[in-house]
Amino acid sequence: MEVSDNISSRIVEAYIGEYASGKSEVAVNRALQLARQGRRVNLVDLDIVEPCYTLRPIKKRLLDLGVDVLAWETRETMGLGEAGNILRPGNRWALRRSGDVILDIGYGVEGARTLHLLEGADKDPDLKVLAVINIARPLTGSVSDIVDYVRGLGRVDGLVNNSHLGDETTVEIIQEGAAVVAEAARRLGLPVVATAALAELAREIGPVDAAGNPVRPITRFMPQTFW
Amino acid sequence: MAEKPIEGEKRVFMTGNEVVAWAALAAKAEIMYGYPITPQNEIMHYWTRTAPRFGREFLQTEDELSAGFTTAGGVMAGRKAFTATAGPGNTLMQEPMSMAEAMRLPVVVVVQQRGGPSTATVIYSQQEVTMTTMGGNGEGLRIVYSTATHQELFDYTIKAFNTAWKYRFPTFVLGDGYQAKMRESLTIYDPEARGIELIPAEPYLGRPGVPGVDRPPAQYRNTYNVEEELYEVLQGYFQDYEKMAPEVAEYEAFDTADADLVVVSHGVVSRAAKGAVKELRAAGYKVGYFRPITLRPLPVKELRELGNRTKQFLVAESANGQLARLLKEAAYGCPVEMLPMFKPGVGITTEEVVARVKEILG
Repeated sequence: MEVSDNISSRIVEAYIGEYASGKSEVAVNRALQLARQGRRVNLVDLDIVEPCYTLRPIKKRLLDLGVDVLAWETRETMGLGEAGNILRPGNRWALRRSGDVILDIGYGVEGARTLHLLEGADKDPDLKVLAVINIARPLTGSVSDIVDYVRGLGRVDGLVNNSHLGDETTVEIIQEGAAVVAEAARRLGLPVVATAALAELAREIGPVDAAGNPVRPITRFMPQTFW
Repeated sequence: MAEKPIEGEKRVFMTGNEVVAWAALAAKAEIMYGYPITPQNEIMHYWTRTAPRFGREFLQTEDELSAGFTTAGGVMAGRKAFTATAGPGNTLMQEPMSMAEAMRLPVVVVVQQRGGPSTATVIYSQQEVTMTTMGGNGEGLRIVYSTATHQELFDYTIKAFNTAWKYRFPTFVLGDGYQAKMRESLTIYDPEARGIELIPAEPYLGRPGVPGVDRPPAQYRNTYNVEEELYEVLQGYFQDYEKMAPEVAEYEAFDTADADLVVVSHGVVSRAAKGAVKELRAAGYKVGYFRPITLRPLPVKELRELGNRTKQFLVAESANGQLARLLKEAAYGCPVEMLPMFKPGVGITTEEVVARVKEILG
């Protein structure tokens, strides 16, 4: 039997980036994509900037869809958001779990620094830190803004084009994002690992976007969460 | 340094807090004073990230009392100044805002309501209506806009600066934690490119000329020696406010002409009310929609007309009757019956409003 590298190798990805860039949505959909391939997947809420709000309301649903979710339960916490936050002990050791590990990280530079709290993050050979970019957000709206922003984040191994306008998203905005993010990636010397697009728009675009990046179809889960 | 924060118009995807920061930039606000509190923090975050690019400033103070007083100070020095707060921060903010009412200072305050009393939740409520509209001691006079969408957060934050500087009353933009954190698309624009004139700020203190000779002395007081002095000043304020109220009051309404029941709501809850009324109308129910955009002054004339011809108001709010209290005062003597749909600190959905109306109308 032939076993491809793709199946045998472990996938470890951390999604970071600008506030409301779509980190959680991209992370959730990536975890589900891997789970559908029959892989064991751990989805880890490492957002200690705005903890518990993101994955908490959809945790049960994701568990039912075959993803192991590492996130606080509401009853285990208090004073969400401003009473100081405790890193969930299990999450600290997430990289020691078997299977793939998808990390949903808090926003901005402070969010990116959360990776330092993760045991083994500095030595993990499979870890890829991916910055999620939406060009419809003014602070990452142009090539130069994206380059400046990503340079300020610390370690970044690749970009994800997640350009959209919520319910008003069109193929055009996604393709425009593809071109802008691709140019920013070129200047940064980084790959664009994917363009995320709502499933129906992804079908229109095809397997690769206008800049030749692989298209990753997504389903929106985050409108069901609070923040 | 970039010339203008927004050139022309642009369709963008943002959280409500960011919208406020961009709107303040677009309105040519010059300085924000603030103290952090969830859920308004990103107003400060985005202001501090963007303002320096356009020569604007920020001062973090030691608490909300200080944030409010420094905002008042900024205004007295002739700067377009604003602050933002929530919950217990809004409580502290009331003392400086009361001084702003006494001195007629055009401060702009953005409030993102959270659960109360006290620290309660950082998430959401409409429980700061009473405090934001009536929080000052004495007969404080102010203007309060309640927004429902990101587009409105942008439009009314810009408008708040103009209203404040035109009429010289403290002006509030009342949002909530859901609006603060929610993501949706909107068009941001340069108001002047749309023909909106931005009323310039001018200093209260330090004007040229000799006081009493070249110009009246600048005497801005929040303290009076005798009752008569205070009485006289307040009479003038009341007259100004009464004259201004019909010019400033705003509302949104539809399907009220033949309605037996009108759903009255404000802010983010009006989105659910709007959806519910449309759904109920399609199903043949004689229902209408009314939403005050200004909670102070209320659109009293329109409310009373409606209260005189409609059998029932269903008052839907994420508070235990704070909007209802304002409505009852405005519609005093009108035959309309006011039915409560109060969910303090909790969101209200279209489905819930539909179910409640069906329960009432059978």
